[in-house]
Amino acid sequence: MRIYRCLLRLSPLSLRRDYGAAMEEMFARRMAEARQAGTSRQAYVLGRELAGLLVIALSERFGTTARMRRRRQQLLSGPKAGMMDVLAQEIRQAARRLVRTPLFTTTAALTLALAIGANASLFTVVYRVVLKPLPYPDSERIIALDYGIPARNLASGMNSMAWQLYYQLADHARLLEGIAVYDSGATTLTGRGEPERIRVTRATPSLGSVLRLSPALGRWFTEAEGVPGAAPVAVLSHGLWVRRFGSDGSIVGRSIALDGVPTEVIGVMPARFSFPDSRSDVWTAARSTRASASFLFNLNGVARLRDGASVESARAEITALIKDLSRRVPNQTGLVSAAVTLQEAMVGRIANALWVLLAAAGLVLLVACANVANLFLVRSETRHREVAVRRALGAGGRTIARYFFSESVLLAVIGGGLGLALAWGGVRLLVAFGPANLPRLDEVRIDSVVLLFAAALVLVSAAAFGLIPLLRVAPVAATLHEQGRGQTATRGSHRARQLLMGGQVALALILLIASGLMVRSFQALRAIDHGFDPSATLTFSIGLPAATYPTRQAAVDVHRRILEGVSQVPGVSGASTSTCLPLAFICFGNGLFVDGEAEDLTRPIAIVGFRAVAGGYTDVMRMPLLRGRSLGRDDIDRRESNVVVNKALAQAYFPGQDPIGRRIRSSRMGTPWLTIVGIVANTPTVAPGERAPTAQLFMPMSIAGGPDIPREALIGPDVTIMNYVVRSSLPSPSLVTAVRRAIDNVDPNLAISQVRSLQDVVDRASDQTSFTMVLLAIAATVALLLGAIGIYGVISYIVAQRTGEIGVRLAMGAEPRTVARMILRQGGMVTLLGIVAGLIAALAGSQLIRSLLYGVSPRDPIVFSLTTVALLVVALLACWLPARRASRLSPLQALRTE
Amino acid sequence: MKDDAPSQALPDLVFHVLLALGQGPTHGYAIGKDVEEQSAGRLDPTTGALYQVLRRLADEGLVAPVSGPDDVDPRRKYFALTKAGRRAAAQEAERLATLVRAARQRKLYPQRA
Repeated sequence: MRIYRCLLRLSPLSLRRDYGAAMEEMFARRMAEARQAGTSRQAYVLGRELAGLLVIALSERFGTTARMRRRRQQLLSGPKAGMMDVLAQEIRQAARRLVRTPLFTTTAALTLALAIGANASLFTVVYRVVLKPLPYPDSERIIALDYGIPARNLASGMNSMAWQLYYQLADHARLLEGIAVYDSGATTLTGRGEPERIRVTRATPSLGSVLRLSPALGRWFTEAEGVPGAAPVAVLSHGLWVRRFGSDGSIVGRSIALDGVPTEVIGVMPARFSFPDSRSDVWTAARSTRASASFLFNLNGVARLRDGASVESARAEITALIKDLSRRVPNQTGLVSAAVTLQEAMVGRIANALWVLLAAAGLVLLVACANVANLFLVRSETRHREVAVRRALGAGGRTIARYFFSESVLLAVIGGGLGLALAWGGVRLLVAFGPANLPRLDEVRIDSVVLLFAAALVLVSAAAFGLIPLLRVAPVAATLHEQGRGQTATRGSHRARQLLMGGQVALALILLIASGLMVRSFQALRAIDHGFDPSATLTFSIGLPAATYPTRQAAVDVHRRILEGVSQVPGVSGASTSTCLPLAFICFGNGLFVDGEAEDLTRPIAIVGFRAVAGGYTDVMRMPLLRGRSLGRDDIDRRESNVVVNKALAQAYFPGQDPIGRRIRSSRMGTPWLTIVGIVANTPTVAPGERAPTAQLFMPMSIAGGPDIPREALIGPDVTIMNYVVRSSLPSPSLVTAVRRAIDNVDPNLAISQVRSLQDVVDRASDQTSFTMVLLAIAATVALLLGAIGIYGVISYIVAQRTGEIGVRLAMGAEPRTVARMILRQGGMVTLLGIVAGLIAALAGSQLIRSLLYGVSPRDPIVFSLTTVALLVVALLACWLPARRASRLSPLQALRTE
Repeated sequence: MKDDAPSQALPDLVFHVLLALGQGPTHGYAIGKDVEEQSAGRLDPTTGALYQVLRRLADEGLVAPVSGPDDVDPRRKYFALTKAGRRAAAQEAERLATLVRAARQRKLYPQRA
C-alpha cells in the first residue's frame, strides 16, 4: 500500500487530487481479492498494478493524452519527427546495443546497482533518523531540557529535572509555551495471562500539550489527573494494546492492574507514537503538587518554545530562573541550561556516524562510476570508426552526444532500478542488525523522498560516466584517417583512463583508512578494563509488585530469599543484586556532604550515583577492591550504615586523603551519616571506556528506599526493582531454567526480565562502534575490489593496445622481464600518485571521523601505513597480471595482431 | 478539447466503461469487474488505467462523479453516465451495428438464427 501511494505521487496532480483516494481503495480491494487466490496471484496483481501506475505516470507526464497524440500525428506526417519519438527511438536503439554486449551491460549495471543500492539504503536511514522532523506538530519548537556545570567542566549531559525546577519553569518561563517532565521505569502488568514486566513512562499531563498528542482511542491525561489522590489512569501504547489486549476497541474505560493497582485505561496512542523511545508500553500521569515538590534530579524534561523564541534565548531564561531558584532553595549552584531541540537530543549522538557512512557510500559510488566510465571509454574506443562514419555522413555533435548519452542513461536507470531493489533489502538488514540504541529505528522505511534521491543518483551517475567518453569522442573527427593502423590509443584517452585509475586508488585508500581506524577503535574498546568482569555471568531484573511487597523490609527479605535459592543452584559460584548495573546510566543521583567539612550548599557538588546492593555485590561483579573491605551479608542484615565508594568518588570528595572510616551523607536535608568501609575501581555508567567516570556509592539495600519510605526521607534508590547478577560457567539456557525454578520456589508470580549476560550489556554499549565498523569495512572492501578490477582493466587494455609495439620490442631482442617492468612501471606510477592523493585527502578529512573513534588518533600511523601497503600490494598485483601476460607474448604472435 | 465528429470510433476500453455505467451509477472497482466480464477477460484494466480513462471521460463530460451511498468507504468514488455519455455510447453502438450489418451483407458473418 505504501509503495502504491509512493508511485501514485508520481502521477500528475490532477489525477491524484481527484481520484487518488478512490484509486487506493480500489487497489486495496483488488489486493484483498487476490490474497484469497494465493501468493502467486497476489504477486501478479501487485506487479501489474504497479507497472500500470508507472505507465500512466509516464504517459500522462510525457503526453500520450488524446491531444498530444493528435499533435504528434501531425508532426509525424510533417517533415520533422517529434522530440519524444526521436528520444524513444534513440532509447530503443541504445537498448539493442546494450543487449548485444551482455557482459559489458551486466558488469556495468551490477556495479551501479551495488553502489546506488548502498547509497539509497544509507540515505534512507540518514533521512529518516537525522533529517526528517520528529512526528509531532511544529516539532522544531520542542526542546529537551539539559544542563551542564561549567565550573566542573561539564558542558552538558545532565539531562535531568526536579519537581522544584519544573514548577519554577512552568510558573515563570515566558519563552516556554509549555513544559513537561517524565521518567521511565518498569511495572508489572497482571491479570489476563502471565504477569509481564512492561515499560511505564510517568509524565505530567502537560506532555500532551507540549508534544501536541492526539491518542488514537480515548484521550490523554487532564491536569486534574496529575495531582496526588486522583484516580490512577493509564494510556496504552499501540503495541501493548495489540499484543496484550487483542486490539480490543472497547478497552477505554476498562481497568487493568499495574503493580497490583487497578488503573483505568483512558486512551490508546497511535501505532507510530513512541516517546521517550519505542520501548514505552504504557503512560501514567505523574502526580505532584507545588507543596510537595522535591529537589531530586531524577526526572527528564521537554518543553515547547513559544512562537519566535530561539533555543539560545530559552537557555538564557532557564539559566536565570535556576539562579533565582537556588537563591530560595540553596542548592545546585552552577547549573547552566544546555537545552537543545528534542531532535538533536535524540539523534545528535548517532548523526555523525550516519553521515560518515553515507559519505563512505558516496565514495563507493564514485569508484563505481569511475569503473563504469572506464568500461565506456574502452567501448567508445572501439566505436571510433562508427562515430567517424556517422560524422562524415553529417551527424552533428548533438546527435553523437545523444547516441552515447542514451546508453549511459539507460544503464544508469537499470542500475538504479536494481539498486532500489537492493536498497529495499538493505534497509531491512540495517534495521534488523542496526545498533539497539539507534534512535527512531522504527521510523526507517523507503518513501518518496528516498525514491527521488535514488532518481537524482541515477542522473548524477549517468552524467558522471556518460560525459567522460563523450568528451573523449566528440572532438575526434579525423579518426577515419587513422585507418586500421591506429592501435595505440590517443594520448588523451590514456590520460583520462589513468586519471580514473588514480582516482579509484585514492578513493579506495580513503575508505580503507577509515575502516582501519574503526577496527582499531573496536579493538581498543574490547581491550578496555571495565572495572568488572563481564564473562560467565547472567543478569536479569526482578520488579516486585507493590501490592504484595508494600514495605522495604518485605522487599529486602524476598530479595535475600531469592539470592539464597539462586546461590544453591549447582554450578553457581556467586549471586548478588543491585539497583543499577554498569552501563545503565546514573540511575539515582545526589550530591554528598562530608563529615567535618562545612556544608556549603553554594559550592558545586559532584553528582554521585547511589546503588543499593545485597551482600557481596562488588565481589560477584569482580570489581577490584582498592582499599578496605566490601559489603557483606552482615551489613545488610544488621542494616549497618556502611558504604563502599568507587575511586572517582574518593578523588572528587577526598583528594589526597584516605576516605576509609570517614563519614558522608546525601546532600538532601536530614539524611543519616554513612561510613566508608572500602574503595573499588571505577565502572562505566554510559559507555565503555568513558573519559570521566561517574562517582558511585554502594549502600546496603536494607537502608535504601522502598515503597513505604516517603520520597522526602529517601537516602537511596528504591529496592523494589533489582538487577541480579549470577556468576556461573553453566550454559545460559539451563542456567536460566534453574534460576527461574529457584525464583518460583520463593514467589511464582514474579516476572523476570532483561535476561542477558554482562558481556551482552557491554557489547550492546559498543554496538554503535561495531555497526559503523562493519559497514565501513564493507564499503572499503567493495571499493578495494572495484578499484582492483578497474586497475586490472586499465592495464590489460593498455597491454592490448600496445601488443604490436611489444611484439616489435621483443623481436628486437628486448628481455621479457624488461617488458613486464615497463608495463608495471606505468601502472605503478599512477597507483603511487593515487596513493599520495588519497593520503592527503585522508589526512585532511581526519577531523570528520574523530568523534567516532576511541583510543586511536584519526591520523594513526599504523593504520595509515598498513592500509597503504595493502592497497599497494593489491594494485601492483592487478598491474602485474597483465604485465606478465605481455612479457610472455611471442614476438611473432604479437606482430601478427596488426 | 472535445471532439464531436460522429464518425470518430471510441477506443475499446472507453466503450466498455460507458457500457458498464449503462446499468446505473457505480464505482471504479465494479466498473473494472464489469469491463473484464463483458470483454470475456480480453480487457482487464489496471486501477491506474481505469482511472485515467474515467478522468478523461469526466473531462470530456461523458461521465460525471456522483455521490455514492452513505454506508460505504468514503474514499470510494461513484460515476454516472451524462447525456453526452449516453449519446456517445449510442453512436458507438450504432457504428458497430452498421459494421455488423455490412459484414452480414457480404456473408462474413452468419445471419441471425
